[in-house]
Amino acid sequence: MGLKTSTLPFTERIADAAKDQFAHASIAKAQDTQYTKRENARAELGHWQDWRKLGQSIRQHVIQYLPDYLEEFSDNVEKRGGHVFFAQTTDEANDFILNVIKQQNGHHVVKSKSMVTAELDIDKKLQALPDVSILETDLAEFILQEDDWDEPSHIVFPAIHKNRDQVQTIFKKLGYDGDNDPEHMARFARKYLRQRFLEADIGITGCNFAIADSGLINLDTNEGNADLADSIPKTQIVVMGMERLVPSMKEAEIMDNLLARSAVGQKLTTYVTFEGQQSAGESDGPEDFYVVILDNNRSKALGTEFQEILQCIRCGACLNVCPVYRQIGGHGYGSLYPGPVGAVLSPILGGYEQFGELPFASSLCAACTETCPVLIPLHNLLIKHREVETDRLKMMHGFTDFQMRVVGKGTSSPFMFKMALRFKHFGLSPWTHQRPVTATNFFEYNGAMITNGPGMVGGWTDVRDLPSPPKHRDDFRVWFKHHKQQGGETK
Amino acid sequence: MKVSIYTTCMMDLMFPQVGKDMVEVLERLGCTVDVPENQICCGQPTFNSGYVEASWPVMHNQIDALSSIDCDYIVCPAGSCTAILKEYPDLLVDDPTDPTGQYMAQAKILSAKVYEFSQFIWRVLGIADCGAELNTIATYHRSCHMTRLLGERETPFWLLENVKNLEVRQLEGIQYCCGFGGTFSVKEHEISELMVTSKVENIEATGAEVLVSCDPGCLMNIGGRFNRLGKPIKIMHIAEVLNHNVDESRIRKVSEVPAPAAAPFP
Amino acid sequence: MTIQNRDKFLDHLAERLGQPRHQLADHPYQQLNDLPQQTLSDRSPAELLTLARKNSEALPVTFYEVAPVELPQLLTDYISSKGGGPVLLPTTERFTDYNLTDWQASIAATETVNYWQPDADRATNLKAAEIANISISFADFMLAESGTITVSTNAGQGRALHFLPTHYLSIVPRSRVVARSTQAVAWYEQERAAGRLDSSAIHFITGPSNSGDIEMQLVTGVHGPLDVTYVVVDD
Repeated sequence: MGLKTSTLPFTERIADAAKDQFAHASIAKAQDTQYTKRENARAELGHWQDWRKLGQSIRQHVIQYLPDYLEEFSDNVEKRGGHVFFAQTTDEANDFILNVIKQQNGHHVVKSKSMVTAELDIDKKLQALPDVSILETDLAEFILQEDDWDEPSHIVFPAIHKNRDQVQTIFKKLGYDGDNDPEHMARFARKYLRQRFLEADIGITGCNFAIADSGLINLDTNEGNADLADSIPKTQIVVMGMERLVPSMKEAEIMDNLLARSAVGQKLTTYVTFEGQQSAGESDGPEDFYVVILDNNRSKALGTEFQEILQCIRCGACLNVCPVYRQIGGHGYGSLYPGPVGAVLSPILGGYEQFGELPFASSLCAACTETCPVLIPLHNLLIKHREVETDRLKMMHGFTDFQMRVVGKGTSSPFMFKMALRFKHFGLSPWTHQRPVTATNFFEYNGAMITNGPGMVGGWTDVRDLPSPPKHRDDFRVWFKHHKQQGGETK
Repeated sequence: MKVSIYTTCMMDLMFPQVGKDMVEVLERLGCTVDVPENQICCGQPTFNSGYVEASWPVMHNQIDALSSIDCDYIVCPAGSCTAILKEYPDLLVDDPTDPTGQYMAQAKILSAKVYEFSQFIWRVLGIADCGAELNTIATYHRSCHMTRLLGERETPFWLLENVKNLEVRQLEGIQYCCGFGGTFSVKEHEISELMVTSKVENIEATGAEVLVSCDPGCLMNIGGRFNRLGKPIKIMHIAEVLNHNVDESRIRKVSEVPAPAAAPFP
Repeated sequence: MTIQNRDKFLDHLAERLGQPRHQLADHPYQQLNDLPQQTLSDRSPAELLTLARKNSEALPVTFYEVAPVELPQLLTDYISSKGGGPVLLPTTERFTDYNLTDWQASIAATETVNYWQPDADRATNLKAAEIANISISFADFMLAESGTITVSTNAGQGRALHFLPTHYLSIVPRSRVVARSTQAVAWYEQERAAGRLDSSAIHFITGPSNSGDIEMQLVTGVHGPLDVTYVVVDD
């Protein structure tokens, strides 16, 4: 579907996610497994904080001088005999790609996993062509394709929401008659996909990093599907977000190290490839090499407080630590880019009208910021989005907005706060219901819990009980004055 | 040593006992304690919700109030509120309502003085054992802001380790947020419910009778969910634990106890 | 026109960034710290070899260290242990460097052996790779830190040689066991700059093809070789 992966309203997506027990368990297990692997891999490397700063410095420098690096890169692709197309919009990119396929008389397209091509929704466009077949070759994306193009739910593990039985059912439609063992099913996919690879005439790949000073691209995969897609077909089309550059192989190598350790806790991804237009004398690899460089609103982040989000290297670590992603999964976000990075990036790419809720779908726990290998201050960028939506675009309305403004006034005026302290007990007392207090000690000032509060308090009491505020005479300030008067020493 | 209590709005509004325990512990350890009168709130409820313009007056008030009393240190019963005061100088860079930079100048002074309660005891006072005794099994909830924004992962564990007769059990999934997140708990209560439910399950699985934390917000969230589910748990702020059944003869400095174990990974 | 829409696109970015284009000459990237170069730099060659073995075997990769005279027998045994040919070999002078020319003749007598041929077309070489049960490559480096071998494509050793066959063996001289990717990249950059290397593809290969896409259970052999063997030869 492109960037937006669901037409359901946010609350319905959350409700659906809450019901999907398998997806929930699967994500939780994946997060916990990845936690240990990732942290161990980083600890083993040593000096992790300095590595992050190194990665950040490379990415920030590239973004700051992005036009120059793009110029250098495209010059070098051209020198090697390749072609570069700069696409402002997804439509421009799609038109160009379809045109290349037509010109090359391509009939069998193989794709390796690429978030940007998912952003283009190019698969649907290719499907519409009568004499062109399209095949996703990353195992997870293949599973999703064969499940009637189900939407991905993670940027590194797109099919994380599917279990082995579901995969078995999907593969049965293709003639698989084995059990639900992932290894057996992977072997089936290998055999099935191998035949398609061999007849492919067009390979579409993403690009982990484009190398400015050589015109080569850097691809990282564990399966090796990108390498088959760039070896076998005569034509390769690379689709990349405009920010995915590095100055040279030297910096690519640094980023590859950060990426592998952050994404899956590997030291290096199994296949780290630097490749481009075929050189003289070689017989495989692309004879026709095209690079499509896509903006699609990325440039809206440049020169703003959101520029740092373009540092992202799509490792998925922020998804893997996120307690919200853990609960609602990728589909809950309704964006191709879920999790913390998605909550920052999606409103930039797709606008606040479509993705304005996402920056609020975070408890600001900062686990994302803490894990990001290139030091993107993700939780701060979420607050920045909230600021844009409330203060600048005035998108907040109604009673909640009114209450937040009252909170602002109340917490900036000592007089009003003292009034609140004096009357809080009475203010909330109409909602005070006597019910057994099982969470003891901390809340037991009045022996009661509030179970249905007014206004925003209702959001609280939909989920949990609220301690009834103490009477004014029991307040800390009152106690402290008395305590001071008595000499203020504790024995 | 002169210490100002940074009360936090939540403690003032809801949990006076936490403040009382904190004052008693600090005085027992030799501090002269005072409470700046006009302080209210650090500004997180509005700032983190995107009401940034409305937050500058809140922060200014807090800066004025906390600067009104001469003190060596400012001590706070909440890791989260401590962390944002430490961040004030970074936030006020964007403040258009402070043209002379007077609030920025004061914020820098305050941010250097402020400590969360447990880290103040261990790192500033150098006290490892407050002389407290609590005969129970507890588990500790590590708050996100205290851990990640304030960068304090250790002192609560080290102090609890020295509480007599207290067994502290490791909490599975300790790195995951409880779902509080300030206004998040209200605005996105559907997601928050999933998060806090999962936290309750993990706490139950430890078999602990008491849940301890350094952040009243998290405790109110988790405790409120326990209560809604009708499940028993005793909720204690760390100040209450350290002020429980105190025998002053047991008070020990950091230098007088064995070096503490590393704080739990992660 | 091989580059399309560039100036309009880049001018727009420069405008967003609020600075003119063509600043890079005055602001080249300066590496922030020397961690890539420092990491594992204190290890001796013997320690690096031990580390390379440990990290390779963990992948899992079958790892051999042999003297040059032992190499022919090892290769013959390897081929028979994997069920024999067809075997795909590169066309390269390295067979001579390793004194393997006699072995080439002898193995061709007992097994089906095909070569990646510099003069053959795409279809011919790809067919040889497709039907190969085994391929053998000559690597440029072995990276101790990650258990990786690096290979560069040339007319006699194409890309698909490393990916299509079922079993894969790579030979690397002991003097080319380096600490990590940093050293290998530095060499490739140096060779490219000097005009000695015009490879369109450099592959860093770390063990067998694998995937965790089904329930995060790691399985090997999704697209590339099902198993991988490294042979370090004393030199």
